[in-house]
Amino acid sequence: MTTTTSRGRRRAPTRIERAAGKAAALQKPRVILALLLLLALTSVMLLDGYLRAEVGGDQRVRTGASSSQVPDDVLDGGPILTFRGGRATTVSVPDKTIALTFDDGPNPTWTPQVLRILREYDVPGTFFLVGSMVSRYPGIVEDMVEQGEEVGIHTFTHVDLSYQSHARVRREMTQTQLALAGAAGITTTLFRAPYSSETDAIDNYSWPVYKELGEDGYTSVFVDTDSDDWKRPGVSKIVEWATPDDGKGASVLFHDAGGERSQTIKALPTYIEKMKAAGYTFTTVSGVLQKQNAAARDATTGTTTGTQGEQPAELPDGAGAVGDRLQAAHREATGVTLYEGKALIAAVTLAEWTVPTLSVGLMVVGVAVMGRFGMMLLLARRHHRQRNRRRFSWGATVTRPVSVIVPAYNEKECIANTLESLARSTHPIEIIVVDDGSTDDTSGIARAAAASLGMTNVRVIRQENAGKPAALNNGVRNAAHDIVVMMDGDTVFEPEAVHQLVQPFANPEVGAVAGNAKVGNRDTVIGAWQHIEYVMGFNLDRRMYDLLRCMPTIPGAIGAFRRDAVLEVGGMSEDTLAEDTDITIAMHRAGWQVVYQEHAKAWTEAPGSLKQLWSQRYRWSYGTMQALWKHRGSLTDRGPSGRFGRVGMPLVVLFQIVTPVFAPLIDVFTVYSMIFIDFQAALLAWLAVLGVQLSCAAYAFRLDREKYRYLLMMPLQQFAYRQMMYLVLIHSCVTALTGGRLRWQKLKRTGEVGTPAGASR
Amino acid sequence: MFVDNSGRRSKLLRRIGLLLGVGCLAYAAVLGAAFMGWGTSLTPSSLLPFGNGGPRDAQNSGPGGIQPQGGAGAPPARPTGAPPAGVATGEAPSSAPTATATAPATSSAPAPATAVAAAN
Repeated sequence: MTTTTSRGRRRAPTRIERAAGKAAALQKPRVILALLLLLALTSVMLLDGYLRAEVGGDQRVRTGASSSQVPDDVLDGGPILTFRGGRATTVSVPDKTIALTFDDGPNPTWTPQVLRILREYDVPGTFFLVGSMVSRYPGIVEDMVEQGEEVGIHTFTHVDLSYQSHARVRREMTQTQLALAGAAGITTTLFRAPYSSETDAIDNYSWPVYKELGEDGYTSVFVDTDSDDWKRPGVSKIVEWATPDDGKGASVLFHDAGGERSQTIKALPTYIEKMKAAGYTFTTVSGVLQKQNAAARDATTGTTTGTQGEQPAELPDGAGAVGDRLQAAHREATGVTLYEGKALIAAVTLAEWTVPTLSVGLMVVGVAVMGRFGMMLLLARRHHRQRNRRRFSWGATVTRPVSVIVPAYNEKECIANTLESLARSTHPIEIIVVDDGSTDDTSGIARAAAASLGMTNVRVIRQENAGKPAALNNGVRNAAHDIVVMMDGDTVFEPEAVHQLVQPFANPEVGAVAGNAKVGNRDTVIGAWQHIEYVMGFNLDRRMYDLLRCMPTIPGAIGAFRRDAVLEVGGMSEDTLAEDTDITIAMHRAGWQVVYQEHAKAWTEAPGSLKQLWSQRYRWSYGTMQALWKHRGSLTDRGPSGRFGRVGMPLVVLFQIVTPVFAPLIDVFTVYSMIFIDFQAALLAWLAVLGVQLSCAAYAFRLDREKYRYLLMMPLQQFAYRQMMYLVLIHSCVTALTGGRLRWQKLKRTGEVGTPAGASR
Repeated sequence: MFVDNSGRRSKLLRRIGLLLGVGCLAYAAVLGAAFMGWGTSLTPSSLLPFGNGGPRDAQNSGPGGIQPQGGAGAPPARPTGAPPAGVATGEAPSSAPTATATAPATSSAPAPATAVAAAN
């Protein structure tokens, strides 16, 4: 392989030109749209992680801190703490009264059951809701408020606020208010801190939080009797622990979420019945406050406190039904709050749908990638063994001359090399160079090269520029022999290539043969990437497809056909941009076998820049989609056509369209997990996938006796290819949908792929 | 295959794309605003017409539903000079609007029904 570099041939763009190019590229609508979609995806994933406390989660819980700075009468006071006018005021629950409180909800399993029990016994409760759960299950909260229960805030993500900054505390409260506004159209003034319990457990770190929130107008609600139902001690223990002593009133703590709560559900009716039998009444936190206010007023005016839970009618706003008073902490959400809340709920709903969908996509990719590798390893091994067995033969050795068709369009750098390699062919051939209206005197150079090499078997045909399919058809029509070998004008054959390539035609069922194309310019990063890709594609994919009898593509660089078969299916078609895929599928449908001949090697020049690689792949994937669509009828056909339609098509769709679309999820989820969940585990999972790919690639390299050192590029190659193939595929899907035209784009060639034999073996 | 010469499909798709882009941007904006709490002020005191400073003044004159029957815990009808809330009516210092905050621990024990104490 000569090592003429491409540098210097083309003037490198200046820095300003490059910057201008980049700026222009960024302004393309599709690029903007792609970036916006990425932004939305990031938002969705961050939101989802935040809701599940993966993002910004904080598991710390403070215990055993001193309470020296907390006023004694707060520590000893009742469970309801307010800061009216900057003064800490505690209120306790009146005798023979229970304020049922439920923490950590809503939960789709348990909360509706709790609500049902409360409804059946006609008992109100106060629910301290976690904002993230409110936003995920807004319907439950709406029912709850409608049913007359009171709600309070239990922060958005259930963190110990004593560890959090002012800003975070404020955000936790505001976010929960928004979620409540969106879910039930209300905000609330009640608050209970996560991990709080009785007032005497307030410490020096949590006290400032209560103070600050109190000054904001929040009422902090603590606990008198803790059922400790989360320990799941059994129904009788829960009831026992929840019962206050000697007919005292109590704010009682239960949990309707945060774990398995069947014991709570069982204990609740028992508890309510027991307390009712003992003469207790049930109310909400606001109900308690009103009772105490009424009692205080009665005490002031000297009347007896006869009213039991009923508020005197002369209250300022002349409150209406009991339900309103039991929900006195609620405020109706209006205006911006209401709409922003609804938008938040909608955003969460969308995320709740998106993330599982993406997970399914990731699973599809995982199964497809792993299943494909498993299948490839198995079938490639079998193929390799079968075809290289000592006694294996296609039939009588094919020795009759064949036609080699070289379509050429502006191939002045390469055509001489191509002819030179064909001159050394060990098989008798005639060469038909079809000059597709080149403007660089390709035909003249070809003639001169043939003359200087003393080749008498070269014919050069000129045609008006009409595209590669037309050039190939022209060549096929002019071919003198019954087997035609097709190659690219930039490809170099090994001396044995033609002979090896045509041997399968000894089997009369074989209609076409795919050769083994090798990347010549593999010493650049992009070249090495494609080298890996080619070795894997030819040694794993094509062997697999060969045995499954549904090879989708015979490479344009090296392939051979029966001339009659090509003419029978109508020749190369211009319907698609991937005429090689199109004709291969057509051969299958006509009942011909298409096989892979690993020993027929051709050296080709792979695109040397990312831009060229992109446009090549863009054309391939667009062309493949066109070809699949063109042959969609095979899905319902009978016979060999139907067989390809039902075996080959799904495989091609799965591996060449579905997998690339979802493959970047591997990286998206890896990055997400590395940042927010478990760095090591995520990295290990990613490396495991890479390991599987690497071992497959190593096997492919072994089958082709390639040097393993190129595998060093593999991690980067896999990562870069996933993103690129994804973008290429999306790009071609969009082009297909919009119905825009996509033309053949000629790749720039440098002619650097020279004599073949040097690089391999 | 796939080619549409009328350009109608392209136009339609461009509109869908525009819509999608606007949707994505709006989504990110909503989340950002909701997370940071922009655009709304939701602390209970800021929902009241009199702000942080004058909860006591607000108590009698609070508009319907906003300052209802002690939803936030303060006795509604007692702006100043009212006797303390403790049931032990006469015992607590009567000058304070509510039971004194710094009352010694001994006084907080008795009240059976209410233990309304005011701390600083």
